[in-house]
Amino acid sequence: MDPSFLAQLLLNGIVIGVIYALIAMGLSLIFGVLEIVNFAHGEFYMLGAMLAYFLTAQWGFGYWPIILIVTIVALALGYVLYEGLLLSMHGEGFERSILLTLGLSMVLQNGAVFLFTTTPRMLETGLSYSNLVVGDLRLPVARAFALGLGLAAFAALYLILYRTRIGKAMRGVAQNREAALMVGIDPRAVSRLAVAVGIGLSGLAGAALAPVYAVHPLMGFSFVFKAFAIIIIGGLGNISGAAIAAIMLGVLESLAGGFLPLALVDALAFVCMIAVLLLRPQGLFGRGVRV
Amino acid sequence: MFKMRMTIAAAALAVLASTAFAQAPTAPIVIGASTPLTGGVSHFGQHARWGAELAVEEANAKGGVLGRKIEIDFQDNRCNPAEAVKSVTQMLATKKYAAIFDGLCSSVALAIMPLVERAGVPFIVANASATSIAEKSGVGGNKWTFKVNPTDASMLDALISWLDKNGKAGNIAYLGEDTDYGRAGSAGLELALKKRDRKLVMADYFQKGAADFTSVLTKLKARKPDLLALYAIDADFQNVIKQWYSLGGGIPLTGRVLVDQVPKEIMASGFLDGTTSVQPYDPSVDTAANKVFVEAFTKKYNVAPMLISFESYETINILIDAIKRSGDASPAAIRDALEKTKYQSILGPVLEFDGNNLIHNNAIIFTIKDGKVAIVGMSKT
Repeated sequence: MDPSFLAQLLLNGIVIGVIYALIAMGLSLIFGVLEIVNFAHGEFYMLGAMLAYFLTAQWGFGYWPIILIVTIVALALGYVLYEGLLLSMHGEGFERSILLTLGLSMVLQNGAVFLFTTTPRMLETGLSYSNLVVGDLRLPVARAFALGLGLAAFAALYLILYRTRIGKAMRGVAQNREAALMVGIDPRAVSRLAVAVGIGLSGLAGAALAPVYAVHPLMGFSFVFKAFAIIIIGGLGNISGAAIAAIMLGVLESLAGGFLPLALVDALAFVCMIAVLLLRPQGLFGRGVRV
Repeated sequence: MFKMRMTIAAAALAVLASTAFAQAPTAPIVIGASTPLTGGVSHFGQHARWGAELAVEEANAKGGVLGRKIEIDFQDNRCNPAEAVKSVTQMLATKKYAAIFDGLCSSVALAIMPLVERAGVPFIVANASATSIAEKSGVGGNKWTFKVNPTDASMLDALISWLDKNGKAGNIAYLGEDTDYGRAGSAGLELALKKRDRKLVMADYFQKGAADFTSVLTKLKARKPDLLALYAIDADFQNVIKQWYSLGGGIPLTGRVLVDQVPKEIMASGFLDGTTSVQPYDPSVDTAANKVFVEAFTKKYNVAPMLISFESYETINILIDAIKRSGDASPAAIRDALEKTKYQSILGPVLEFDGNNLIHNNAIIFTIKDGKVAIVGMSKT
């Protein structure tokens, strides 16, 4: 077997794994702190990509300003989402939050169809058609940047959670909301920040991947269900677990895709999820403690 | 007194009845349409709608048909057979439609066929290309379904015949969406190749809406076929083309490649040179009627028509022609009139339905050379 074939599959797998991680980490963070499964997460990723597209196509912004602007807008959107909708969910039951985020997902998706139509758009930047080539290995520059941004986002989130006071506060609220309140942590401020960071990460994913994939109102769907499987495999609410599970799944799917029919590869994430739920319900990296 | 009341009541009834009779012939003729207005292929649904509405608008501007205006009532099917069955069943139960138009997706059209047969309403298919639709229509059993666009089998036979003549049909791999459309593509190719003692070297199918194709494209590249036959539409097509380019595929494409949707940079780079595709339509076909259609469509919607818009436009015109000849716009009379269709296509030929209620318009064979698309032939399907 050609080693360059295997190396290309491995490289593709690592990149797609980091792309999964970028989306799954935000989802995991929001669940970890608020115990809310955000079914609209894919739509925030789509809105990030849409905004990136229009900033480039209409106003000619470059790649790095777009990454910055979209992430800031997504953070702000997360803030508004928490204050406007999710705040009212506390103590009101898991089911209500599912219905609310599912409804929000439909509103955002159909709103985007209404405003932008379903025409797929290709974001054309200087990076769009450039490749890094080493021997027989090829990596599009836009994917390399998405890979770097994904790794940087993970490192930043890890440092915030484990090396800062606000991170400790988030972990405190995730573990025991009432106890955190008793020691002077404001759960509302911490939850608001967690949602803002979670949505910010999905916006960042949208901006980073807009030059990689076709941009259209239904693009969130393709990743968000895999992201759900990933956070269950990694351990619900466990950020590091989600990131590691995402990269493992990306590599596994890519290697399997090199040898098996695609229909079987698509089922892999959910087969793994079912296996984890049966054998280790707390997830591969779950320790019974979230975030 | 009683007699007087009866007389007034009878007069009132007579006035009401005469009003009703006077209104009936002026009420619009309504065509029901089921197409994906949301979901993964709604971009195509949008073009199907635009093409159909342009044909209706032109007919109404000429005074309508049989002295009545035509209306078209669109329902969303999300390219999902279950949604289509639900919405078309409701449509047929609640309103009198002269005919049902489209479906767009092959799986959806196949799901609608038994419904229209039971209801006795003509179903005219514009875009769905699965060969099984025609196989099950006319002498195949379903007398109410008519298919205007060529089947995949007939188009792919024309394509493979052309490739074979040019010594290029030897080593073809296939990648298509995992739907009736994608499956019909591989079945059509297998059949056309089998006729020439050849077969596909590999076939794989992807879920519609998947974004990342790098693993399967890496696998295809490693197999080194002479041509990669592609059956993908909408965002899937854009993603496959871009990722194929990124991986330096180096293998020209064939099948039903949407040459008008290839990004300019990729087309101009010459990366797809040697690609040979078959489609039922291209806006650049050089006939006077096509130029008029392209101009009218572009003026109205600010975008050029694509294959889907053309097929919907032409199909609605064929239906309007049948309504005109039916005399009373009843579903049964329209069905009978459709069977006797002789319609001048904007691509040139005069179209008639065969025993399977299928029309055989020309298929257009394209190649890409020096980063430019060229029509190399039109072949009867």
